[in-house]
Amino acid sequence: MNEDVDMKDGAGLDDGADLDPQGAAAIMQEAGERARRELRVSHPVTFIAGGVAWLLGYGAIWFSVRGQHPYQGPAPEAAVIQVVLVGFAVAIAASVIGRATSGVGGLSMVQRRISILALAIGIIAVLVLEAAIDHAGASRAVVFGVYQAAAPVLVAGVVYVASSAVRLSWTMLGLGLWLVAVAAGGAFAGPVGVWAVTALAGGLGYLLMAALGPALDRHQ
Amino acid sequence: MSEDELDPVIHAPARLRIVVTLAALPDGDNLSFTRLQDLIGLTPGNLITHLRKLDDAGYVRMEKSGSGVNGTTSVSLTREGRAALDRYRRVLRDLLDQAGSTPPR
Repeated sequence: MNEDVDMKDGAGLDDGADLDPQGAAAIMQEAGERARRELRVSHPVTFIAGGVAWLLGYGAIWFSVRGQHPYQGPAPEAAVIQVVLVGFAVAIAASVIGRATSGVGGLSMVQRRISILALAIGIIAVLVLEAAIDHAGASRAVVFGVYQAAAPVLVAGVVYVASSAVRLSWTMLGLGLWLVAVAAGGAFAGPVGVWAVTALAGGLGYLLMAALGPALDRHQ
Repeated sequence: MSEDELDPVIHAPARLRIVVTLAALPDGDNLSFTRLQDLIGLTPGNLITHLRKLDDAGYVRMEKSGSGVNGTTSVSLTREGRAALDRYRRVLRDLLDQAGSTPPR
């Protein structure tokens, strides 16, 4: 986009001669509120999308594995539903973040890219490790139950915790710690129960943070 | 300019909006000229004139990358600019306290 500028209409430059302190205070308040509203990423929207996708996606997998004896693992249709829902949540998050950060450059963009890269590398590592555990002869209940449900949640939680330190966000810290706890604790529910625990606790954690986040981040 | 005087470089409606808008970004971030223009609502000519005045005072930094149709200009608040805004806010608060009005946040 061409952003070359000219000075043709700069002649009517205003100055502060007529600006009284009350007027200046009003401008500061209005401009500050507008900038914060327009430039900050609205976490509630992304967390609601994540929570719904999480609840329904993991819920669909739990629905497909419940009652399996012996445990076989998620049905392909349920996995497809989860992938589609995650894609939907990612698209909403990308749209919200893209709108807020349009035209913004510098350090926070680099930090955001590193967080996304860390998450992507973590998820790839989880998949590679899953193949290795399967190759080593672990049961389907361990590989396609406990591990497959809990490991990605652990990675997401750790990335949120690390990102919270960089962005000083209590919302991200709260959600990250919660997801780590859900992954570690949910694994004790066994290969079927872990999907239900992750769906409910993970999904509701996102939705709770969507509700509490604005109040928490006001104190950051 | 004395310590209890509003900084004349900032004390103009358009420049006050520019500085407050740029201060909403975290340290180390910048804003493209076009996005800043959208947020402030000035014509390109007026915006660049105000930015140059802030630049001359060392309050903002303008960086141009690329050229021609792909050229972009990014603007950021300098450390001096942030300090000047803090000072401005303090003086304004004192003035409003004396007048019994609500100070800016």
